[in-house]
Amino acid sequence: MGGGSAGWLTAGVIAAEHCVGSNSAVDGNPQSDGFQLILVESPDISTIGVGEGTWPSMRSTLQKMGISETKFFRECSASFKQGTLFSNWLGGEKQDSPDSYIHPFTVPHSYADTNLAPHWQLIRDQVNFADAVCPQSALAEGHQAPKKISTPEYAFQLNYGYHLDAGKFAELLRAHCVDKLGVTHIKANVEAINSAQNGDIASVVTDSAGVIEGDLFIDCSGSRSLLLGEHYQVPMCSKQKYLFNNTALAAQVPYASPEDPIQSFTLSTAQSAGWIWDIGLPSRRGVGHVYSDAHNTEERARQELLAYIEASAGKQAADQAMVRKIQFDPGHREKFWHKNCVAIGMSAGFIEPLEASALVLVELSAAMIAEQLPANRETMDLVAKRFNDKFLYRWDRIIDFLKLHYILSEREDQYWQDHRDGASIPDHLAEQVALWRHQSPWHRDTAHVDELFPSASFQYVLYGMGFETQRSATERRSEQQAYQRAGNLFQENAKRTQQLQASLPTNRELINKIHTYGLQKI
Amino acid sequence: MSNYVILTKSAHKDTKVILDRGEAYGDKVKVALTFPQEFRNIQSCYPIFFVKDGETGQFYPAAIFGFEENENLFLTDQGWDATYIPMMIRRHPFLIGFQPGPNGEKAEDNPVVSIDMDNPRVNSEKGEALFTEEGNQTPYLEGSIAGLETIHAGHEHNRVFLEALLANDLLEPFTLEITLNDGSNNQLLGYYTINEDKIRDLDGDTLSRLSKEGYLQAIYMQIASFARIRTLIDKKNALLPKSQ
Repeated sequence: MGGGSAGWLTAGVIAAEHCVGSNSAVDGNPQSDGFQLILVESPDISTIGVGEGTWPSMRSTLQKMGISETKFFRECSASFKQGTLFSNWLGGEKQDSPDSYIHPFTVPHSYADTNLAPHWQLIRDQVNFADAVCPQSALAEGHQAPKKISTPEYAFQLNYGYHLDAGKFAELLRAHCVDKLGVTHIKANVEAINSAQNGDIASVVTDSAGVIEGDLFIDCSGSRSLLLGEHYQVPMCSKQKYLFNNTALAAQVPYASPEDPIQSFTLSTAQSAGWIWDIGLPSRRGVGHVYSDAHNTEERARQELLAYIEASAGKQAADQAMVRKIQFDPGHREKFWHKNCVAIGMSAGFIEPLEASALVLVELSAAMIAEQLPANRETMDLVAKRFNDKFLYRWDRIIDFLKLHYILSEREDQYWQDHRDGASIPDHLAEQVALWRHQSPWHRDTAHVDELFPSASFQYVLYGMGFETQRSATERRSEQQAYQRAGNLFQENAKRTQQLQASLPTNRELINKIHTYGLQKI
Repeated sequence: MSNYVILTKSAHKDTKVILDRGEAYGDKVKVALTFPQEFRNIQSCYPIFFVKDGETGQFYPAAIFGFEENENLFLTDQGWDATYIPMMIRRHPFLIGFQPGPNGEKAEDNPVVSIDMDNPRVNSEKGEALFTEEGNQTPYLEGSIAGLETIHAGHEHNRVFLEALLANDLLEPFTLEITLNDGSNNQLLGYYTINEDKIRDLDGDTLSRLSKEGYLQAIYMQIASFARIRTLIDKKNALLPKSQ
């Protein structure tokens, strides 16, 4: 239930895995049975369209659905996202020059078998962490793309996700789901819900498409949370005590010239009581200020946003900016799968878009449903329990990781001081940070193989923010050997960085070529 | 650098073109673009693979002369050691250019023959003349212009040929690792070829369509050209220092 990116992504992921609708016959096995996948979308509700940044996981999600990356670039105003660049998070304007660091999507060189972080500690005065261990941050300066026109679709020289126009993205997914994957699209408003004796949802009653029965109902109705929230009254767990931001002011900003560079990263610039996102699409930028209304007035937040737009795009752009206000309760539902209903997207929860976790949660939720689709009603409760455990864990890790960005700041505004207040820091995170004072995060800092944020992400944020991990007082037997190996790896990284800088086109050059020639599938 | 000018009777009546083959004339190249029209001749001498244009990412078929950059194993002190030399090699120093016509024709509809005056083949003393004493085109120039026209048509042929191959999912990446007689390894990297199994699995309608458009023959010429990899290896081995 519900269109938008969440609804159509979920439909696409499930329909790409299972035999669905009229396409249900598998090649060479016309007898096989599929099921019907119906997406009911209200014709009256517009999609919110904020989630414009994705993770690298979106590449495989799109590829599995059978969407051409060329088509995706052309139809969704897509550009490459190679990570996030954080400005002024550490000290704000009080320092001589604005501080900044990059959290790139590429893990440090040889991360699987070598932890370079302790070795970088010895040279931290000479080079920043990201530049020392990964080529991606240095390529930002030239606004360079993560691949070439001769690189096949979805392949890369440097790992990447996307920036995209969410409205166009939902439309592309809709067309693909309906035309290629056999999803049935019904435009109607849901007016009532019929319950079964066991409390399941038996059917939904619509205004113009009659009664729609179903075995499993997926609630992608957005923040209204029509099924899980309104019907089942599954309560919200507020996370505002950890992450204060609950309001966003969003605007679209044109480029001064159509040849202006397209940023490789989502820019995140700290403000007095929040931060401003800045996402470069080929055709425009999406800019927004997300802040805590307990710490800032709307008026001041708006001024900060307009000042940012004016500084980067000129006074005219600031004067003409149409600012849209979005309010949200940071947090998630107590559980996501209840009876035969599972919520995905904003109906499950929403948190500030600091690490663009919204769409990846949709991808992961849809993928788990597609993979674990209950064989019958008896097993559904077991799958639901697994699903809830998995995603409650994931929400906790997201909150930990987002919070990590704040607690290392030295900014002195009340908002930032409140963020460093011990009562606002989740215990699990506080424990980890205490440990990281004495050992660098590495593979053992993540408990699961399918962890949302790899330990490399902790490294990039910690050391980007100037965090110090103390050197061990005692020596290990392998120290000398490891030291030499690290030196070689740093050199290899510098060499590879130079090679890539010399060979990769700019984002705009490559995107123009994709529009003209397209990427090859192989 | 190249310096292409439009070929005219008046400006080029004394111009001559050296036809010798050699490194000095820019013949030391690893690959040359080719076209289905000359596949029959190409496959009798060289392997044909598909490569991507670095600027556009688009595929084109290429005749392969060596393993490394600027390696042409067919080039010897005596010239080019093969019975057929690809048209894209023979075209030099000429090129088809485009310019708006005198009667308002659009540039893309008005091909003109250009000559690269900085090409080392071009001079006024040695080689083949372009025009006769009477100012007529020499048979050499006539042949060259006919070649340019074939090339011009060949680019369009390549485009539709590749479209047909890609639409039927017939290309696949191809890497060849060979060990020479001295134990050293050489690689053919970054090439694409036609997947024979997929050709075999095509349904009758598709096969018939490919055949009618002349693609099926080109497909099998490319597959047959695999045998010429042996020629490359033999030539490379022959260059190794003789063992005691």
